[in-house]
Parts: sequence; C-alpha cells; structure tokens
Amino acid sequence: MNFIALKMLIGDRAKYLGIVMGLTFASLLITQQSAIFLGLMTRTFGFLTDTTLPDIWVMDPKVQYIDDLKPLKETEVLRVRGVEGVAWAVPMYKGLLKARLPNGTFQTCNVVGLDDETLIGGPPQMLQGKLSDLRRSDAIIVDSFSVRDKLARVMPDGRREPLKIGDTMELNDHRAVVVGICKVTRTFQSQPVIYTTYSRATVFAPRERKLMTFVLVNAKPGQDSHVLCQRIQQGTGLAAYTRDEFKKLTVRYFMKYTGIPINFGVTVVLGFIVGIAIAGQTFHNFTLDNLRYFGTLKAMGATDWTLLRMILLQAAMVGSIGYGIGVGAASVFGTLSGNTELSFRFPWQLLAVSATAVTLICAASAALSMWKVIRLEPAIVFKS
Amino acid sequence: MIRKYLLPLLAVFGLGFAVLTVVSGSKTIPPAMPFVDPTSPPFVSSVAGTGIVEANTENIAIGTLVPGVISEIYVSVGDKVKSGDMLFRLDDRDLKAQLAVRQAALRVTNTNVKVAKASLSDLENQLALAERITDRRAISVEELDRRRFAVQIARAKLAQAKADIVSAKAQVNETAINLDRILVRAPVDGEVLQLKIHPGEYAPAGITQTPLVLLGNVEPLNVRVDVDENDAWRVRPGAPAVAFLRGNREISTDLEFVRFEPYVIPKKSLTGDSIERVDTRVLQVIYSIKQAGLPVFAGQQMDVYIEAIDNTQNNG
Repeated sequence: MNFIALKMLIGDRAKYLGIVMGLTFASLLITQQSAIFLGLMTRTFGFLTDTTLPDIWVMDPKVQYIDDLKPLKETEVLRVRGVEGVAWAVPMYKGLLKARLPNGTFQTCNVVGLDDETLIGGPPQMLQGKLSDLRRSDAIIVDSFSVRDKLARVMPDGRREPLKIGDTMELNDHRAVVVGICKVTRTFQSQPVIYTTYSRATVFAPRERKLMTFVLVNAKPGQDSHVLCQRIQQGTGLAAYTRDEFKKLTVRYFMKYTGIPINFGVTVVLGFIVGIAIAGQTFHNFTLDNLRYFGTLKAMGATDWTLLRMILLQAAMVGSIGYGIGVGAASVFGTLSGNTELSFRFPWQLLAVSATAVTLICAASAALSMWKVIRLEPAIVFKS
Repeated sequence: MIRKYLLPLLAVFGLGFAVLTVVSGSKTIPPAMPFVDPTSPPFVSSVAGTGIVEANTENIAIGTLVPGVISEIYVSVGDKVKSGDMLFRLDDRDLKAQLAVRQAALRVTNTNVKVAKASLSDLENQLALAERITDRRAISVEELDRRRFAVQIARAKLAQAKADIVSAKAQVNETAINLDRILVRAPVDGEVLQLKIHPGEYAPAGITQTPLVLLGNVEPLNVRVDVDENDAWRVRPGAPAVAFLRGNREISTDLEFVRFEPYVIPKKSLTGDSIERVDTRVLQVIYSIKQAGLPVFAGQQMDVYIEAIDNTQNNG
C-alpha cells in the first residue's frame, strides 16, 4: 500500500514537483527570514556576546539597552567592589567618538575603554597583535571589518588600503596608534569598534563630569549571580544585570521601539500563508486527481484507515523533502552571506520552528484531502 | 531511477547542511582572559578604595622664602637628609656685596666713635682749663659757657656714634640673616622624592605647580585611601585593611590604621588634565604600610580593601 502511495505521488511529476516547490519555498522563506531576524536581534547585543568574562554588568538604573550610554561616577566602581560577594569589579568606558580619517572625513566609532590594569572586557579574538599591546602609549585595537571598510584609507587612485598595525589615526583630536586587529561580533549599528584602555578613553572622550559607562563584576565562587545583582542594587542604588538579563533587556528594547519584529513577522507569516496556499492547494488537487484510484482501492476493500495512512505518507514525504531542501537552501544562503553585512543566525530552535511550520502546512493540506477520501463513495470509480 | 531519488537525496543533503550550519553557528565565544588577575576583597564585607602611597610626614613641597636664581644644590634625588641639612642655595652675590658694604659701614661707625671720643676729650680738656682759671677777667662767662656746651655736644655726638654702631651691627646682622634665608634647609628627616630644580633656574617664592623639592620620610610609607562619601559611614576607625599592588595581585600587605583625614574633600580624577573633574567627595583614611621591603614607591596607586559593616543589612 505504501508503495502504491509513493508511486501515485511520484507518478504525477508536475504535481509532485509543484507540491515540493511550494513547501520548499515556504520552508526557505520562514527559515531564512527568521534567521535574518534572529541575526539582527543577536547583533543588538553583539558586544555582550563578545564580552563573556564578567558575570554581571552594573550601570545606571535608567539604561534601556546596551548602546544607551548613561555614565556613572568613577567612585561607583569602589562602591561595587565593597559589596559582599563581589570577587572583582572593574570599570569600562563605552562611548561614541569621532575618528578623523586621513582623507578628511569623519567616522563615528564605538570606543571601548578597558580597565588599565587587568584589561578585562577585551575582544574575544585577536587576529594581529596582542591585547597587552594596549599598554603602549596611544595604543588602540581596531576590529577587522572596519579595518578594511569604514576605517580603510582611500588612496588617490580610489583603492582602499586597509588599516595596518602601526598606522595612526585621530580620535577626537588625539593621536591613536593601531597596535592590534581583533575579530568582533558585528553590532546592530555596525560602527567600527575600537578598544583602548580606560584612562586613555577618558582622554579621548570629550570633557564630561561622568565617564564610566559600566562596572563589570564577577561573583565570588559559589555566589548566585541573581542574589548578587539584588545586593548590588540594594547597596549602591545602581542597576545590575547578569549577561543574559542585559541581553534580554536590549532585545526587548529593540522589539518594543523598532519596527523590526513586525516587519519580519509579516514576512514569516506570508511565507506560511504562501506555503499553505501553494502546497495545500496543489496537494488537494493531486488528491482530487487521484480520487478514482482511492475509490478503486476502497472498492477493493481497503479500509479508510489504510487510505488515510497513504495520504499521510504522501504528505510526510513531500513535507520532509520540501523541508529538507528549504532549510538546506536557507543554510546555503546564510553561508554565502556569511562575509557580507547581512546578519544570519541559525540556532537549532529555528530548525524546529521551521519543521513545525512545514508540518502544520502538510497537516492542513492532508486534512483537506483526507476529508475528501473518507467521504468518497467507491462507486465513483464507475462514474464517467 | 536517479530522477526518482533526486529530490529525496537533495532533501537529505539540505537537512544535513542545515544541521551542520546550526552546529557550526552555535559555538560559544571563549572569554577574553584578563591580562592580569583583578584583585578580590580579602574580607567578607569591605569598603574598597583607591590608595596613593605617600611619605609618613606627607609629601612636603619645599618652597623658598625669597625668589631668586638657584646657584647651588647640595642634594640629589633619593638622598636621605637629616632635619637642618642644606638643600639648595639661591644666588647670594648681591647679599654678600651688601654685607661687605654694611661691614665697612660698621667699621666707619667704629672709627666715628673713636673720633667722637677724642673730640670729647679735647673739649673736656679745654673746659677744664677754662674752669681752673679763677681770674674772671681772663675768660668771659660767655666763653666758659661756650666750652661747656661744646663738651655737651661732643658727648651727645659720642652717644650718637655709639648708637650708629648698634644700627650698623643690626644692618650687618640683617644681611647675614638674609644670606641664611636664601639657604633652604630640610625641615624634617627624610628622603628627597623629587628634585625639579637645577642651578641657574629661577625659583619663585610661594606655591609652585611642581614643587621645587619634594621631601618626605618614607620609612614607613603611608597610604592615603579615598573612600566614597556614600560608603564613609561603613568605615570604623582602626579597621583592618589590605592593600594590593596594581599589576600583581600576589603582592599585598596588611595596613595599620593611622587616622582619618577629618575634612572630606572633592575627589580628584587622575586623568592628568590640568582642570580636575570633581566627581564626588571622598573621605581620606590614612594607613601605614607595616611590611618592609615591599616594591612600592611614594606616589604609586594601590587597591585597598577596608573591612567594614555590611551595607545591605543596615541600609534599610
């Protein structure tokens, strides 16, 4: 029976391809758009993805997301250090500063100032140079994307010469020397990321009364991070979040105040609808076309259950093929776009979500067809 | 045959590739390890502060009473000096010349006294002669009076000449004192921490931005700890404290409480800017470094933890 079902399916090549195409397209659209959406949302906290060492981030209570910079007094780091259960606490500067490029244009850069002594919060991966080179005078470390792109030198003949180690640039009218190139996770605004030491960052930064953006904290071994967060909030009046909480806070802000989730949500729903429309309709047509065969089988004594199993098998077959090709195509797309500005993030949950969506489409299509088959009178065979 | 399996194969490959993408994409980024390990508070509940190492006499910025060009320096950086030792001397040629003039003037007044004495003796002698003459016709009353007054004037002149000596001596003394004032001496026992002057440079009187000579007793060194005013209430006098050397948490030392600085001051940001940013006010607590042989210098920063009252329980 199963063999007959498959034979029936593959035999009508046009319809077979049609259904598979519809499902592939739906699966591709849902997977790829969700992946881009997830990629964008991941980029919003790209800086947090990179900075994995500190357990807890302490900041001004009014901070809404990672790039919402509301600096603190420098003595707050001392106060946080004094909270029970804190293993260490170091200051971090994060701010947007203007870099003047050799061709005279300006580029806003995301400058991160690391604690002078420990250099905690540094980039996860150095491509050239060492993090400790930041101890040199006027030293900065630049990320690998902007070295080739936004901070590259434009030569007279229009070529773009990437920034090298040893090159100097001007940060807010101060001299800065590139001593290293690091790889960072791209951020939402995709500004060049420049790492330097805290004290140097405060020199680069415009004169302000408060300059320290974050206090990075690690809990003592055996200390629960959430309890410590509460204790820090109680003791200092500042906001303290674990890394995951801070990520959530950032994502929540972008979900609430940007149109991104609606935009992508609509596309995903459209993909789903298109999938149902094309695949469901074609599958339905296919069943209708083969109705007489089902009738024959029924006349020959096949039970309803057997016929239902056949339809389910057919649906499962086209569903898994469409799904497989769809997610495969989405992955290829993602891999190809890996080195471009496009964000693409493909966690296993997305694979499951997309599978569920395809299953739903198939189930809906199969349900329609099953209805037809159950109501089928075997006598239909002898009509026409 | 191939055509029949083409789509399922494609699907299997597709799914396989997707799983591969998921697996390769879900790698977590390893944390960037700290360059040196940060310090960790050694107490259960503590107040953290930034400490600056200083001399136990505090760092004394030596000034000069009178401005002038430096002619001689008797110490070099790092020298141990005793209280009263000479540090440097300003140019003294004008004062030496003045001394010579005034000493000469003193000698002149000395001779003036001799002259006045001789002149007085002469006039007294003449008066005595005149008074011995009993014959009133031989000398007039007027002449006798004239001689008497002449003696009185001569006496007064002698007194004046003697007073001139005192005055000249005082003037010589004044110049000698001035000469001593341009010689700057160490007010305490200690070490020369900074020497920012050279022979030939002008040393202004009053407070200078960089001290001419920075002097202080560095045995033992003290640590001046800045504690945020919000945490100041948690610090008890005499509370134990530990200081960590920056750059190597293995080097630490126990501290001994010396005193509170009773006046809470605005914190200075150590940004190196000429205009300091006022962040907040800080209570300064002075601790003494007991451990000898610690590789630490005056002026260096240390991370200090002071054992304190738990802030979460008493903060309401």
